[in-house]
Amino acid sequence: MIGSIYLVARRDYLGYVTAWGFWLGLLLTPVLLGAGMIAPTLAASSEPVRHFTIIDGNDAFRDALMEEMSESRADAVRFQIETLELVGSGNGPGALEAFNAALEGGASLEDAISATGQGATLSVPQRDYAYVPPPAGSLEQLRPWLLGERQIETEAGPAPLFAVLVVKPDRIEYWSENVTEGGLKSLARDAATRLTRARVFAQAGVDPGILERISAATPELEEKRVRDQAGAPSEVTLADRAPFIVSIAIAFLLWTLIFSVVNYLLMGTIEERSNKIFDSLLTSVSLSHLLAGKLIAVLAVSLTLMAVWGLGGTAVTVLVGAALPSGAAGLIETFAAAALNPAILLPALLSFLLGYLMFGALFLALGSLCDTIQEAQTLMTPLLVLLMVPLFMLVIAIENPESPIIGVMSWIPVFTPFLLILRMPTEPAIWEVAALLVLMAAAAMVILWLATRVYRAGAVHGAGVNDALAWMKNRLPGLGKPAP
Amino acid sequence: MNLAAMQLEGATKRFGAFLAVDDLSFRVPEGAIVGFLGPNGAGKSTSLRMALGILTPDAGRVSLFGAPPRLEMLRRVGFLPEERGLYKKMSPHAIITYFARLRGMDADPARRRADELLDAAGLGEFSRSRISKLSKGMAQKVQILSTLAHKPDLLILDEPFSGLDPVNQQDLEALIRAEHARGATILFSTHVMEHAERLCETIVMMARGRKVFDGRLEAAYSALGQRARIAVTDGFDLHAALSPAGFTAEPEPEEAGRKWWQVQLPPGCDAQDALRAAVDKGAPIAGFAPQLARLRDVFVSLVGEAEALELPRQESST
Repeated sequence: MIGSIYLVARRDYLGYVTAWGFWLGLLLTPVLLGAGMIAPTLAASSEPVRHFTIIDGNDAFRDALMEEMSESRADAVRFQIETLELVGSGNGPGALEAFNAALEGGASLEDAISATGQGATLSVPQRDYAYVPPPAGSLEQLRPWLLGERQIETEAGPAPLFAVLVVKPDRIEYWSENVTEGGLKSLARDAATRLTRARVFAQAGVDPGILERISAATPELEEKRVRDQAGAPSEVTLADRAPFIVSIAIAFLLWTLIFSVVNYLLMGTIEERSNKIFDSLLTSVSLSHLLAGKLIAVLAVSLTLMAVWGLGGTAVTVLVGAALPSGAAGLIETFAAAALNPAILLPALLSFLLGYLMFGALFLALGSLCDTIQEAQTLMTPLLVLLMVPLFMLVIAIENPESPIIGVMSWIPVFTPFLLILRMPTEPAIWEVAALLVLMAAAAMVILWLATRVYRAGAVHGAGVNDALAWMKNRLPGLGKPAP
Repeated sequence: MNLAAMQLEGATKRFGAFLAVDDLSFRVPEGAIVGFLGPNGAGKSTSLRMALGILTPDAGRVSLFGAPPRLEMLRRVGFLPEERGLYKKMSPHAIITYFARLRGMDADPARRRADELLDAAGLGEFSRSRISKLSKGMAQKVQILSTLAHKPDLLILDEPFSGLDPVNQQDLEALIRAEHARGATILFSTHVMEHAERLCETIVMMARGRKVFDGRLEAAYSALGQRARIAVTDGFDLHAALSPAGFTAEPEPEEAGRKWWQVQLPPGCDAQDALRAAVDKGAPIAGFAPQLARLRDVFVSLVGEAEALELPRQESST
């Protein structure tokens, strides 16, 4: 018995891993994932500075806008300082205070960063927009610049004019050929608010500085957490948030991994059906051993992928670890600790195994009914729509990991493999975790049993897509019946 | 009586309302070569799939070597299915080794056997090529070899000659004889009767899911009766001349001054006896053509011309 399962698994495994597509996926996936992660940063840093001008009777709006732009860049630095603090690589609360004090003292952004004592770790945010004096006096005269027919002169050479802001008594008009970019519009709105507030306060005889005083006097909201041990630090750190972030990442990884590898099962079975190998196989090995061998083969493929990526990731981390800034190293340690926590890791492994079994069996059954990939697509469409649901749940989990809908949906067995892991950081009751695992195991067994029957119908009796559709039409009311 | 390598007893199989095999019983004695004959759709493949346990009969019983067709029995069987196919990315050597191992051989002997078979079949130089690189005939040979690799006691070949060119059909006939000489029991289905005429000792004929004949080849011929054609001149009445000797002669249309007669040979008489009787009666003989009965004629006599139209004439010159 073990012999025939091993032989089937070995043949299928070698068939998959010797195909060029496997190596392409193995190598390209981390490359594309890495590229996807750094692409936004690269895109942002490679974005050229956009030049704009203002047509206004005085310089008040321009000054307010410049102030908003400086404040926006200062906020970006503050975010960096707070992040370093969160991962435990900062210089303490004093860094932020020193930065703010330096700015209030009139220091430039670069000098204020130096004042924090973390100049080597913090980066100076690039300027996204630059003001240029209007090259012509009216909007009509500025048309050639806006349409790209003429360029403005800057210190870096000729550049296109990105936008023109026309200040009118009752509104500010934003003229640009780019209708999607929103950064400058947002800054212009804030500047207009700032100006209006100052004017209205002045008219009302209120000191404009009152807002700053209100802001300074507002008590800070400190996030605290009760610990099991009395006297332990109560501040909420990244270590508290890491399990939520890690669980979302693992759930996404599980989803991606399962649906990457179950396609091997689908393709392999379609190949066997279209190549008419079933009769030869079924007189050499029992159906249950054949299916077990196939499922083990693809499981081994996915373990190979995980092992290679895991070892590769570890090797890269070790090799470049010394070169990483202390903040990044701390970040990696925090997330690794969260991922290796048995409360996350064990449910993740079980979810992967049971989820793979469920969807692997389903895809095997589908493949046994199809002669071509086009036929498979017909049957897969409703299944794929269903499989999008866990992805929507991931989006919800990013906003609110403790959303009740995740709790409810996790009881639907086909979603449990992805949603149980999302719930683990919320520390659900042990009985609930056990019940979800049992439910998932039971569902996997039922699906396996059903899939075996479908596989037998496809492989032995030659049932096809049309038979499957006819079966569904007979059982699902409304399907296939003409509209009244 | 020899033990049965394979036996069906009242086996019946329906697919929905369609009765594919109806109350079929026959046995394949150990050591025999049995031809399983009938036109396409007669129920041959369904019967074989039932015998191998791929399909479960709705009624009746099937057995291999006296036991239900479980995996341990199937390991003594080599089966070439009608719908043929192989893993296109595997090499002939890997495929033959794989199936030999699935049927119980150890790794090293299976590899050696694969090399041996491929060399013997003249495919040695392609043993490590992908199946997709081979011709259709070569791939079919590889599949046949993969059914033999584990030296089965019973070889079941479902339409083994279809798709092969005349030379390869001849090679396959030689291979079947060699396997039989090795001691294997052989059952092969075909809708080309000539292969069965050359290879079989025993035949089972099917039509529309039912068995129409089961017995030795000679019995099939004698069921039909032998015939000869004799041509005479000068309006000689051959029927009148031969009747006293127990022969029946029927005239055919006259051609080029001579008239042919179909002479029915009674059991125990051959064409020479009829010729001798005609000469003795002074018949002016202008032509003589002994007519050997063909299985096709046997089939026609059993199920009628309409059913026999499903049978192709011989596919090759072999």
